[in-house]
Amino acid sequence: MQNSKTNQNNKVLVVGGGLGGIRTALDLAEAKKNVILIDKDYTIGGLMTQLDRTFPTNNCDLCTIAPHLSESNRQEYIELLTMTTVSNVSGEKGNFSVTLTSKPRYINLERCTACGDCLTHFPGCVRFNPGLDHRAPTCMRYPQATPQAYSIDLDKCEDVEALVKICKAGAINLDDMPINREIKCSSIVLSPGADVFDPSHLDYLGYSNLPDVVTSLEYERILSASGPTGGELLCPSTGKQPKKVAWIQCIGSRGLQKEAGAYCSNACCMFALKEAIVTKERFQKDIETTIFYMDMRTFGKDYELYLNRAKNEFDVRFLRSRPHSILQPDGTTDLTLSYTKEDSTKRFEEQFDMVVLSTGFKTSADTRQLAEKMGIELNSDFFPITEEFNPVVTTKPGVYVAGTFEGPKDIPETMVQASAAACLAAADLPETIVEAQAPKEELVERDVLLEEPKVGVFICDCGDNIGSVVNVDNLVAHAAALPYVAVAKAEGHGCSRSSMEDIRKTIVEEGLNRVVIGGCSPRTHEEKFQDLLQKAGLNKYLVEIANIRDQATWVHSGKPKEAEKKAEDLIAMSVASVVQAHPLEDQTIPMNKNVLVVGGGITGMTAALNLADRGYQVYIAEKSDKLGGLANFLLTTLEGGDIQAFVANMIEKVKSHDNIQVITRALIVDHSGMPGMFTTGMQSGPQMSYRQIEHGITILATGAKSNRPKQYLLDESPLVKTQLETQRYLFENPDKVKQWQNVVMIQCVGSRTKDNPNCSRICCQNAVKNSLAILDINPDARIFVLYRDMRTYAFQEKYYQMARERGVVFVRYDQDKPPVVEAAGDTIDVTYYDTILGMNVTVCADNLCLSTGMIADQESNKELAMIFKLPRTEDGYFLEDHVKLRPVDMPVPGFFVAGTAHSPKLIRESVTQANAVAARAQTMLAQDEISLGATAAIVDGKLCAACLICVRACPFGVPFINADGYSEIDPAKCHGCGMCVSECPAKAIQLMQFEDDRILAKVEQLFERITA
Amino acid sequence: MENFEPVIVAFCCHYCAYTAADMAGSQRLPYPSNVKIIRVPCSGQVDSLHIVKAFEKGADGVYVAGCLDGDCHFKNGNVKAAKRIAYVQKYLEEIGLESERLEMVNISAGMGHRFAEVASTITEKIRKLGPSPIKASASL
Amino acid sequence: MITAERKPLEELIEYIKPFKRILLLGCNECVTVCAAGGRKEVGMLASGLQMARLKSGTSVEIQQHTIERQCDPEYVEELASMIDGADAVLSMACGCGVQQIAMRYKDKPVFPALNTKFMGASERQGVWAERCQGCGDCLLGITGGICPISRCAKQLMNGPCGGSTTGKCEISEDVDCAWQLIWDRLKTLGLTERYLDIIPAKDWRTGGGSGPRKIIREDLAE
Repeated sequence: MQNSKTNQNNKVLVVGGGLGGIRTALDLAEAKKNVILIDKDYTIGGLMTQLDRTFPTNNCDLCTIAPHLSESNRQEYIELLTMTTVSNVSGEKGNFSVTLTSKPRYINLERCTACGDCLTHFPGCVRFNPGLDHRAPTCMRYPQATPQAYSIDLDKCEDVEALVKICKAGAINLDDMPINREIKCSSIVLSPGADVFDPSHLDYLGYSNLPDVVTSLEYERILSASGPTGGELLCPSTGKQPKKVAWIQCIGSRGLQKEAGAYCSNACCMFALKEAIVTKERFQKDIETTIFYMDMRTFGKDYELYLNRAKNEFDVRFLRSRPHSILQPDGTTDLTLSYTKEDSTKRFEEQFDMVVLSTGFKTSADTRQLAEKMGIELNSDFFPITEEFNPVVTTKPGVYVAGTFEGPKDIPETMVQASAAACLAAADLPETIVEAQAPKEELVERDVLLEEPKVGVFICDCGDNIGSVVNVDNLVAHAAALPYVAVAKAEGHGCSRSSMEDIRKTIVEEGLNRVVIGGCSPRTHEEKFQDLLQKAGLNKYLVEIANIRDQATWVHSGKPKEAEKKAEDLIAMSVASVVQAHPLEDQTIPMNKNVLVVGGGITGMTAALNLADRGYQVYIAEKSDKLGGLANFLLTTLEGGDIQAFVANMIEKVKSHDNIQVITRALIVDHSGMPGMFTTGMQSGPQMSYRQIEHGITILATGAKSNRPKQYLLDESPLVKTQLETQRYLFENPDKVKQWQNVVMIQCVGSRTKDNPNCSRICCQNAVKNSLAILDINPDARIFVLYRDMRTYAFQEKYYQMARERGVVFVRYDQDKPPVVEAAGDTIDVTYYDTILGMNVTVCADNLCLSTGMIADQESNKELAMIFKLPRTEDGYFLEDHVKLRPVDMPVPGFFVAGTAHSPKLIRESVTQANAVAARAQTMLAQDEISLGATAAIVDGKLCAACLICVRACPFGVPFINADGYSEIDPAKCHGCGMCVSECPAKAIQLMQFEDDRILAKVEQLFERITA
Repeated sequence: MENFEPVIVAFCCHYCAYTAADMAGSQRLPYPSNVKIIRVPCSGQVDSLHIVKAFEKGADGVYVAGCLDGDCHFKNGNVKAAKRIAYVQKYLEEIGLESERLEMVNISAGMGHRFAEVASTITEKIRKLGPSPIKASASL
Repeated sequence: MITAERKPLEELIEYIKPFKRILLLGCNECVTVCAAGGRKEVGMLASGLQMARLKSGTSVEIQQHTIERQCDPEYVEELASMIDGADAVLSMACGCGVQQIAMRYKDKPVFPALNTKFMGASERQGVWAERCQGCGDCLLGITGGICPISRCAKQLMNGPCGGSTTGKCEISEDVDCAWQLIWDRLKTLGLTERYLDIIPAKDWRTGGGSGPRKIIREDLAE
């Protein structure tokens, strides 16, 4: 930890340790920037840790990112302060002074071993989330479950002295005091999250007195394996499994209830879908699930498919209605919902066993105060006012926002904003002179290949954790008698500084060449002991850890004899295995620090400018002959931002930037290399001359196309235009617009159809935007918007509301009964079925605007995907590594995707993704070389039968039959799963670190002992 | 026979079951010490040979613990492992060993409880089956 | 390639019952590729046999070895000392390999561990299908590249028969009608007129009908 620099401003303060804050901190740390991460809670993790599973994968996926995070960077660059809040802020961008106040934890984190004795004896006064798991065990997967220690609630403690005594590590410190500290920083990222709307005061929903009316978050806890019902779905009132569950959407959102926000909370539709699907999936198929909704807003990437699955595969019932009330007839446990349907005027009553209120996001009083202290302005809903094209930039320079504090959103968007904020916050840091790092002591590795194995076994007592259950001396004696063991020793706390030094010395003095540690889990401590071996002059892969704490003494403490025998076995197995270990080399390759950005639209240019400003050489390869992309055709945003000025300004900056080279009319034709050192060939310019670019990072910002389906007389009648054309027409021909009497807009033209199942995301707000623009020119125009679901998410809802207030008529149509459009001389007749009137209505429109949305550029994406070997979604967009947690990283390291190449989105959202990509790219660009670890599969060509089984077995397509006729696996591309190894019929492949002889040595050792 | 303590080898995926085992530890959830864990990078790496060798050497039971469906860090290792287990089970029957002595289980990293539960159920099951006929004869 | 499958363990146990020291011999050629007799399967079988033996209260010494090709005398020659130390050989090669060993080591009992099945192609991971019966007079040039001998259950030269429905053979829904495939392929090639040509009755002498076959390359043969 670089505490010594606390008084310097060379760092970023991140407020809020939820998923977003963690992402921001990790991005900065991996890019070698100093971070202070604070959270008011006593561990970090935020709201996501309360979720059972997440949409659309229905998994808890945190584990899949954890292995990619580098432990050492975390330790070196992040200072984590829990139970800490901001008290005061002064100064300005580049030089803030912040006072942080930490509440007392009464536990010394340095000493606490998380043994749990205090919790066992004084459960009332100890606060503990084993990492994060108390609420959701799935999230313990995340090694960031930090700090893994306890905190004491002194007010609840009756016998303080006894409590202090119980802690053998002496970690309980009653003198702990609130601490104020002054820190300096260059920039601040706020991601304190948001609260969830509390529906208690809405008496007609009965939330406060009917136990079976729960919020969506509470329902999530009921579904969760670690929840109050142990993962069983039970009605709180009866303890029986419900047969009928209903969800009511928009509770606290869209301005419908008292104290509700005017905005749409963005994530609740997907949230409810997930809960309904999981209910069916995990429990009984025959539980009836009904969602009462106003508009299903599944506008995210592939979210529409999720909605379709809910409808078609899981039989979730959708009722477009807002129930009037939830009542409970006396003497029953039923919940009676009364509602009306959209095609009826009758009142219906229906019984349910449970009702889930889909409560939206709301800013909390705490965060409002925080905003005030920071000096950032808030909008009328108390969310920060942000820059029109850049939603993470607040009104105060140097202060950035991300996540649900910025506005209601789901996890992927939070992750994107968090990375984007990291990018911009890092840009405010002072130029760091790359410190001529004190030349690392060249670690000389002893060559042990020809030596007879000489094993040292070091066994920890880990305080009482091991020592109180088993007799460590017995273990030592047993280990000493094993073959090849030269030294066996008890080491107290093996990971303590003094023990580590003792182990190092012993290795050197005794000339050991293999080491076994009997202690805790290799998951947490392997790296530490590997470092130690290196310091002792041994290859770091010559150590093995026998997990005798987590997997023996902790779980068999009630049977100490068995525990001891098992510990003996585990140590013996590790010795047998380490004898077979041989020195391995980490695969590293040098990092080329040039960046190739494919696509010169707003997204590509934003990413390029960010990286070029940091001093990296950037190449923009643009397919057309000019920069700007689709934005060249756009005029204003919904909020009134001037897009043309924005684009022009950006193009100017790009063109004049010393570190950016723009290549227009560029056609990418070939690509080779590996992460960190790619070579891409392209033809460019009028002559299509060929050139190659060497680069370490590739950013895909290829955009999407505006869709143009042959429907509703488009391209047949001059009166039919796309929304894009309409906007320009309004701008160029206001006089003609003044003549319009009736205008009709049809939504979802070419989107949410069989051929293109996804939602284009941008069209609803486009229709609202153009409607308002038409009314500005011609207030008497009558505008009819024919829609399927209005998806004006988040703050767009306000404009939808405004459009309705100004008289725009919104009429829902059914996909099975689309409007009929006929040319009728100077007008266009649009006939639609009005469900409320129960009859067809024909409008003679002067103009018909079609919301045609976006589609992926199939041809060029397909081409690029083939050249770069990248996956795409079914509808042709690039598919990121992890939809939830790595939304801009591609599965191939070194590749990133942003903007509409990822999925349809607005300019603000594209800019945010572009910033995010720049941050993610910098985490790689900050490294001088890329280490790929040593766990790779290696083929023995002499044994190989070239049968192709490995080629087919590899999930990543790495093995190939080389020119010499045997299989070859590029260790730089191998992910190290070992599937080829286990399928090879010639036993020609071995996985380093997990070789067959090492695994079998363990097996044999285990039984040798038993049969002996 | 009454004091029969089976020896069971559990091949555990580093990303899920092995982590779950650690989790069972940190939550102090007891399970029988008969279960000996061998860490592997992915359940898909566990070779049929590793399994039969374990039985040949005297294991009373073996199980392979991989990630939940769809959660494999390497896309489909757990699916491959499950198929392999089914294949080896048939082979065990051919040899004259009860196929119940081998099992595939799926445990996510967070399921410390489930890890302990699985370890206990499998140990109980093997205890009921009695010692492996191979070990019993080998020690004659 | 030649495909094969392991024999039931029971049969193999019976073979080796009288012996104490067994050489279990793999082949790194076709049977490795079809996952029947390579190093991996040698290991699996060794373990299985050992367990079966242990279970019956005895044990057996099994030496595992895999050579490049059991059907070539030079490779087989190298086994001499190893075979010396064994009471019997259990070969995991195809029938050709087993015979080569038996020919060379006349006084040593040699047993097949595999059933040799057919000449086939790999359809996908783990699936092999019969493609050729070695008739010695290849017809593929006129049948659109699809062999009616190995792929038609009736080996019809002028098919299909009446049992072909919706492209499948009457013996099983999983078996494509070879003649449907031939027709489809000829159509793709624009050669449907060829379908009208009657293929004369097949002369099976080239296919082994007149005794064991041999190929002699005079320029190479010594």
